[in-house]
Amino acid sequence: MSRKITVNPMSRVEGDLKIKIEIADGVVKDAMASGVMFRGFEKILKNHFPEDGLVYTPRICGICSISHSIAAASALGAVSAEFTPSASGQYAKNISHATENAMSHITQFYLYFAPDLLNRKYKDLADYRVLVRRFAPLQGESVVRIMEERKRFLEILGLIVGKWPHTLAIQPGGVTRSLGSSEIFRIKGILASFTSLVEKVLLGMPLREYLEMETRADLESAFSGDGAADLGLFCRVAGEAGLMRMGSGPGRFLSAGAFPRSDGSLYIPSGYWDGERLAELEVEGITESIRYSFFTAPEGSSSPFDDASEPRWDKPGAYSWAKSPRYKGLVVEVGALARQVISGDPLIRELHSEYGSTVFTRVFARLHEAVKLLHEMGSWIELLDPEENYYKKNVVRENGAGFGITEAARGFLGHWLSVENGRIRNYQVITPTAWNCSPRDDKGRPGALEQSLMETAVEDEDNPVEVDHVIRSYDPCLVCTVH
Amino acid sequence: MKNLLYLQGLSCGGDTISLLNAEEPDLLTALKMLGISIAWHPSLSSEEGDDVLGICSDFLEGKKSLDLLLIEGAVSTAPMGTGRIHCFMERPFAEWVRDLASVAEYTLAVGTCAATGGIPASGTNPTKATGMQFHHGKNGGVLGEDYRSRAGLPVTNIPGCPAHPDWIIETLHLVTSGKLTADLLDYANRPRLFYTGLAHHGCTRNEFYEFKSSATDFGQMGCLFEFLGCRGTQCESDCNSRLWLGRTGSCTRGGYPCIACTSQDFPPQNSRFFTTETIGNIPKYLPFDVPKAWYIGIAGLSKMATPERLKVNSVSPHPVYAQRKEERGRK
Repeated sequence: MSRKITVNPMSRVEGDLKIKIEIADGVVKDAMASGVMFRGFEKILKNHFPEDGLVYTPRICGICSISHSIAAASALGAVSAEFTPSASGQYAKNISHATENAMSHITQFYLYFAPDLLNRKYKDLADYRVLVRRFAPLQGESVVRIMEERKRFLEILGLIVGKWPHTLAIQPGGVTRSLGSSEIFRIKGILASFTSLVEKVLLGMPLREYLEMETRADLESAFSGDGAADLGLFCRVAGEAGLMRMGSGPGRFLSAGAFPRSDGSLYIPSGYWDGERLAELEVEGITESIRYSFFTAPEGSSSPFDDASEPRWDKPGAYSWAKSPRYKGLVVEVGALARQVISGDPLIRELHSEYGSTVFTRVFARLHEAVKLLHEMGSWIELLDPEENYYKKNVVRENGAGFGITEAARGFLGHWLSVENGRIRNYQVITPTAWNCSPRDDKGRPGALEQSLMETAVEDEDNPVEVDHVIRSYDPCLVCTVH
Repeated sequence: MKNLLYLQGLSCGGDTISLLNAEEPDLLTALKMLGISIAWHPSLSSEEGDDVLGICSDFLEGKKSLDLLLIEGAVSTAPMGTGRIHCFMERPFAEWVRDLASVAEYTLAVGTCAATGGIPASGTNPTKATGMQFHHGKNGGVLGEDYRSRAGLPVTNIPGCPAHPDWIIETLHLVTSGKLTADLLDYANRPRLFYTGLAHHGCTRNEFYEFKSSATDFGQMGCLFEFLGCRGTQCESDCNSRLWLGRTGSCTRGGYPCIACTSQDFPPQNSRFFTTETIGNIPKYLPFDVPKAWYIGIAGLSKMATPERLKVNSVSPHPVYAQRKEERGRK
């Protein structure tokens, strides 16, 4: 006997996600992920001035708006005559981008992921009452504190990029505001107070001490006692709830790289992890399939530079407005786990080799990365020069093509821009959740989330909370995916 | 307790994110103060799937009173007016909006997209998107010009890309205390409270503006109106005195031009961002709060009187403290 379940709408994800699963003998046998909301940004942008990308594309997504600004600015930079960006401007961009990513990770855990741990399935866990006390939606002790403090943390964005979401401060040559020593000092202060909250509520130990942990054994001994802070509590509950090996992904990772430094190196490296080893990212290897998407085009997969797809809402056989990006034809997973494995983070590498890419490792990697970003932001602030001009002008060429890629909180984000006679000929955006939550491609291969859902064991078909865990472990952002 | 239902159409979720940034009071405190219970919100609630259908059905069948209906995002009407291109729980979102709005005590459009269509409804408008009761400057939208909520009001528009969290929460305050009346709304059905002044008011660059002492590029301190396309003098919004993110910033304080995101015609078509378009020497778009002829006259005069300090600082990234004691009062 098999049973079909449709979850529509899926709550506590960004945007409209519809999930259809088929369960037989307590195991998910089939899964289909659909993005259901289409706006047509790429069509709207055609024939606009190239710089309009900076206005329009951040508005694809209210939660990773700065990541879109970063990608748009670097695509615009790529079609500009040669220029040298402002060094302080670059670090100011990094700090803003890291603020958005770190805050997104932390908010996702408390507001979107953790409420599922209060599911009735876990009523008998020893920690259940602690979970309710800390994570109850809009009421839990930790949730309320995080909701309060995340706003103070976001004041960093007020000081650098003026408003958020949707700023125009991020430009190819830096940021539009030159920070003075007062602003720099205030940013430092905000970071320090948010860091101490994270130490208290999430880590239960000083940031430095946490970052020294490199092995699973370190982690276990640090989080063994009762009364652990939220990260320790999560690790313990994840073990008891079976999240360690739940929701296994495709095993291949992709990172665009992010946070350039003034010497040209990247704090988060780009790369491709094929399951065993690391290789260089080859951007030409990216294609999009629309076989099961509500689009028609002359042929199957196409390069993002000359996408000719047209929306067709009633296309037979299609089930998602998301396209299916593939890397060298393969399904890959993107996000914090991908980045940390590709970066060679010792703790994440060890957890990943033990458990693989699962609900636990995805969620843990996200929080781990947030903590690392807070640390790194501190060192970037030291590099801000209160005397420098934070903006360097760039001149966009009349004709040309270029792309800008970066890492949004949820993973690989790319903007492909081609300009003809001073106007946008083609603008193509590939977002993290398109990688993770794509429908099947032209070879019929399910997307990363679909694969992760398949073979997931469901204890109680009337309460398939395991499915929720797997979906939210990817932190889907559907407003980005279908744009 | 008043029941609040929040749905998202063609949206980026940015107004919800902005709402989470609310302070004085913050969102949770505000809900308590105003006696509002969130019946469902796509990112804040636990219910999903069929439970949401149940919640919406209860409102439609009158089992529960829908006191506050908040819509974020534009509403698609493609293909051919059906809205089937964007379904919510297997039904066109547009139909849900029409049905729920017909039983709502108050209907609020949160953000520019819901108010007037915004970006999804711009340019080629691939989804035939529109606002709740306006399509950009034209009356109509998905509910039509004549729509009135049970309280007898049209859709209260809270535009902004995103809307300022204060605007959302203070509108809820007006509504739940029964103080919102039609005469408190302006020509665009926005609460006058927030949309009477201009984004220009409160701008820290106003001294530069007064003396037409302008930044020639970003990263500088001068006024952004003359060369860099700032629409702050044509944007009805109090955001530059209210300020964002713990009152730490605004667009012009962040060094970039206002793009008039609260306007019905946002995003403007056939005009450039980041560059002031001119006809002859005169900007194509002139300030709302000064008569045109006066503006032109005063601008010419004030340019002749610009203090040296402003000339230097307008194109400098940081203040130049050139004015020593013995220079005071001299030219």
